[in-house]
Parts: sequence; C-alpha cells; structure tokens
Amino acid sequence: MRVLLVEDDADLSRQLKGALADAGYAVDHAADGEEAWFLGDTEPYDVIVLDLGLPKIDGVSVLERWRREGKATPVLILTARGAWSDKVSGFDAGADDYLTKPFHTEELLARLRALLRRSAGIASATLSCGGLRLDPRAARANVNGEPLRLTSLEYRLLHYMMMHQGRVISRTELVEHLYDQDFDRDSNTIEVFIGRLRKKIGSDRIETVRGLGYRLAPLTGESEAA
Amino acid sequence: MTEAGAGARRTPPGGWGRWFGRPGKSLTRRLIWLAAGWILLALVATGFVLTNQFQESALRRLGNVLSETTDELVVRTVTASGKVLTPQIMDAPTLRVFSGKYWMTAEPTPAGGLRIITRSDSLYGEDLTVPTDLPGRLDDAYGQTITYNATGPAGEPLRVAASMKSLPGRTTPVVFFAAIDRSNVDVDTRQFATLTWVALLILGFILVSAVFIQVQVGLRPLYDLRNEIAAVRHGQAARIERSYPLEIQPLAEQVNRLLDHNQEVVERQRTHVGNLAHALKTPISVMLAEAGTAEGPLPELVRRQTRVMQGQVDHHLRRARAAARAAHGLGETTPVPEVLDELAVMIEQVFRDKGAEIDWRAPDDLAFLGERQDLQEILGNLIENAAKFAMRRVRVSAGASGLGQMIVVVEDDGPGLPADQRETVMKRGARLDESAPGSGLGLSIVEDLTRAYGGRLTLGDSEMGGLKVVLELPAAQAA
Repeated sequence: MRVLLVEDDADLSRQLKGALADAGYAVDHAADGEEAWFLGDTEPYDVIVLDLGLPKIDGVSVLERWRREGKATPVLILTARGAWSDKVSGFDAGADDYLTKPFHTEELLARLRALLRRSAGIASATLSCGGLRLDPRAARANVNGEPLRLTSLEYRLLHYMMMHQGRVISRTELVEHLYDQDFDRDSNTIEVFIGRLRKKIGSDRIETVRGLGYRLAPLTGESEAA
Repeated sequence: MTEAGAGARRTPPGGWGRWFGRPGKSLTRRLIWLAAGWILLALVATGFVLTNQFQESALRRLGNVLSETTDELVVRTVTASGKVLTPQIMDAPTLRVFSGKYWMTAEPTPAGGLRIITRSDSLYGEDLTVPTDLPGRLDDAYGQTITYNATGPAGEPLRVAASMKSLPGRTTPVVFFAAIDRSNVDVDTRQFATLTWVALLILGFILVSAVFIQVQVGLRPLYDLRNEIAAVRHGQAARIERSYPLEIQPLAEQVNRLLDHNQEVVERQRTHVGNLAHALKTPISVMLAEAGTAEGPLPELVRRQTRVMQGQVDHHLRRARAAARAAHGLGETTPVPEVLDELAVMIEQVFRDKGAEIDWRAPDDLAFLGERQDLQEILGNLIENAAKFAMRRVRVSAGASGLGQMIVVVEDDGPGLPADQRETVMKRGARLDESAPGSGLGLSIVEDLTRAYGGRLTLGDSEMGGLKVVLELPAAQAA
C-alpha cells in the first residue's frame, strides 16, 4: 500500500514516516502544498494523509484541485483546527476522514486501515441516469461529474429509484425500502426525502405521478438532446 | 415621552430633579434654564412696560380733566386793578366741601414762595399742598402745565395740575391749580397690574412648558442614539441602524466606525490567539509521539507536561471562541436544515464502517438565532457522540417550540448512559470510555455554548434504546 504523507513539520513527518513504514506502508513525503499536489496528481497512491496548514498552497486547496481533476484517492485530513466548521469545510473540499491534532499514532493507523478497507474494489458497475451516476460499491453518487453529498437515507432512496428508473414507484414501496425496520412508516417521510433529493439533484429529475407515486425521469430535456 | 422617562430611571438624578435641578452637565437642563431665564426677563420687562403705560395713560386722562378745569379757571379769572378776582365756577364738585375736585390760584412772592389768592369752595379754606420746588419749576416752564401727586384736604390721593400764566393788566403772573381725586386711577392701575402679572405668569408657564416639550422633542434623537448604543453594548444589536437628524448622523456614523474598528481589533487578536494555539498543536503531537509509550522519568515528564500544554491550548481556544461570540453579531441566523444536512453526510461518512445512519428531520424554515459555527459545534459534537455510541441509527429531530425557542433532540440506538454517569460526562474533558480516541465527549463544549446562548441541555433515555439529548436553543422567528 502506498501512502502520501503531506506534513510540513519535520519532526512530525519523521515520526509518522517511521510509524507508517513500521505498519507496512510505502511512504512518500511532501513538505509543501505544491509538491503534494504534484505527487498526488502523478503517483497512484492508495491513501493520502494531508496536513491542512501547508506552505505555498494550503491543504484544502490542494485537495480541491485533486478532486476537480477527478482523483478519488481517499484523503485523511490532519488538522490542528478541530472546530466543526473547519471539519465541515474539509469535507466539502472532498476529504474522507479527519483527525485533530494532537493525536495518537495508533489512532491514525486505525483510521487509515478503515479508509483503505472502504475504498477497496472501488471500480464497480455504476448506475447512471442522464447526468446522474451512482457507484453502489463506493456508495458515491455524482450529477454531471459534481459529487453529490447525500445522507445514507437519501443515498438509499436514490439508489432504489435508479435501479427502477422510468417506473412509477409508490410511496409505500419506497418507505419499505428506505427503512429496514418499522420506523417512521408514514408517507410524509417519503415526501421529506424526495424534497431533499430534488434539492440536491435537480427538482425536475423526480416526477410526482399524482395518486401513484414518484418516477425518476430517465432524461431531462437537456440531456435528451445529448 | 416614555423613552425619556425610561432614561430618567436609568440616570441617577431621576424624576423632576433631572429637568429642574442645577443645570450642571445636562443639556436638557441647560436649555430649559436658559430659555426660562430669557422668558422671565422678557415677561418681567413686558409687565413693567404694560403697567407703566396703563398708569400713564390713566393719569393723562386725569390731566385732561385737570387742564379743562384750569382752562376754565383762566378764562373766568379777571383782574381788577391788579387784583385777581375769580368768580365761582358753577361745577358742583368744586362747590361741595372735600368733594375731591379742587382749584385755587396763587401768585409768586418775592421770597420765592407762593401766596394763595383764591380757592374753590370745596377746599373749605384749606390749601392744596405745594411742593417747595414748584415755584422754581413753574418759572422754568412758563405757561406749561406741571402735574404732581399730593394728598388732599380729606386725606385722599390727589392729582394736581399747576401752570403759571400772565393775565392782562397785571405784572405778576398767576399760578392756577386744579386737583382731582386719583384714587379711582390707583385702583384701576392696581387691578390692571394684577391682571397683567397673572396673565404673564400663565404665559410664562405655557412658554416654559413649550420649551420643555421642544427640548424633549428636539433631544429625542439623542436619547434614541443613547439607547441604541446601550443596545449595542448589551449585545442586542451589532451596529447603529437608525438614521438620525443631520446634526447627529455624523456622530452615529462615527460610533459605527468605532464599532467596526473595535471589531477588527478584537478579530485580529482572536486570530492571533487562535493561530498561536493551533500552531502549538503540531509540536504537542510530536512530543506526545516521541515520548510514546516509553518507560522512565523523562518520557513520563514529557507526557505529563504535554498534557498540561494541551489543556492550556484547548482552554484558550475555547475562550477565544467565547470572546468571538460576545463580540459577534447577534441577530445572525443560521438555517438548521443546512447544518444538519452537512453534518449528517459528513458524520455518516466517518462512521461508514458500522453503517451509521443519521435520520434528521427539521422544518425547512427553521433557523437558529446565532452563528453557524456555534450551531455546527453544538450539533457536530452531539451527533458525532450519538454516532460513536449508536449501533447504527441516530435520529435528530428539530422543531420550533414557540416563544423564539427551538428544540433539537438527538437520540441513538446504542447502549445509553446510566443516570449516575450523565453528570460526569458533562464535566470538561471527562471521558467515560478512556479507550475511545478524542478529547472527551465534547459535551462540556456543547454545554458551554448552549449556556452562552441561554439555551438548555438535558440528557435522558431514548425509546430507541440509547442516550437522548434534548437541546433548547434560541430560534429566529419565522418571517
């Protein structure tokens, strides 16, 4: 497993390199944002540990660039800024996990293992519908290349609708597939989630068929022409 | 005037003393006293002029009567071989004894005095009082009438007219006197004066009241401005928002500029503190890692001291946040669904290994009355905790509870927390599960923040099996 360690503090880098090597990783190290971006862009890493406070280009910008260029490598952010607002902006930039300094090395190793486990076998059959793409194995979806940030319930709903695209699906059916237990089985729940999904993927994607249910429109007017 | 009244309650010299006490440093009092002074002066002067004028014109009317009498006297007087003979004037009052209307004639003596020649019957042998300097004045104003006040034979106040004339066939001039009771004039004058002063007093009162009202109305914007500044100081407003009259608008603008400047300075300081605290975190990580789990006095010391450092860093960061909240704009609102959505997506991703499922519900228009960062911090910690301890499911329900409040309930299907341990977890940095990473449950931070917003945090049992955290926070009123 190849890991890219991006950290500008020499001592911390030395320690982490040692610990990662001991854990069996092949470690590359970058001490500034520019180098990090270049390495991440050119080398096929399995996972990246990214410090946010970096010289030249800051960590969030580096991460945003990678994601814009379509790099899907899982990234764990190391940050001194532990406020939730900082974490949220890190995730918005495309991070997969975060760790707040100061941290224990064991904690970092455990998190990396989890990230690698998740991303294993990422290449899988994807579902698509117009500009919508959904990767069931990675549990990721994007619309016109832009990653969608879905909660698991929203994701599940979208997944089910994409598997049955073009067909009208009743509220009852959706509720049954949304929850695996008997929680909150009222039709209002579905309306709430349909509303949220519409906000995220575009309101004309999901048609309401009065009295029957919902249908994921296979193509919007625009993509029909394409 | 209610606002001014409220102001009076706040300022020490309250009540009437505020308006009518010593002028001192109060603008209101200064204006009112100055105006009252001018009004008093003007009114007193007016009063004197009016009463004087009235008295003079009354006396002038009397003088006319008197000059008629002297004219008649002059006309009727004849001289026979140097002797002055005055026939009786057939005017009843001049015949009745002590009637109040008199006349007499006199001639100057070589000694500079006057010798009475004839007198009216009404005088009954008495003489009209003649001031000692009268002959001299008559000489100076030959042919003109001189009037003066005197006391009559019956003790009544008299108005006397005297004039010196030459008569044909006589070398020595003759002085003609006519007198009339002036008590009516005195009474009229007194009555007029009383009336005038009462009227002026009322006018003065009305004017001072008008000034009072005018000052109140005129200074109202100043009180408004003061109240607005007080609101800023109490954190109820961020800036001076209202527009003011031309004269004090610049003041309001300067206050705003000062506030901005203050804010800037505070912000800069806070950024410094934050940067310093964050910068220390990397070295602390390095030292912790280096000391590792090694045995011996030195690693032990390093571990202990780095823990102290970390505590300090956390403490100061928290204080910087608190200061930020105190200085920062109240009236800021944060949409709750947005924050819940981003946190749910993010925390599910972190806990994806266990398939964490965060089901959040909130009305679309629900908004938190406070800063986004704070809501993120509060809900982020609570939801992360719930996800950490949940089997899989976390439920977050938020809703307005009326009266500008909202309630957020965070529950999970984990093992829950026995009642006796709930208090422990609220303590700063306390951690029940010592093996779980992170610096405690973060509940102390949540509690601090919640309290800073005047909210409430209670722990209970969820029907889902785990812990139920009920959070009360201020909500923005739906538009």
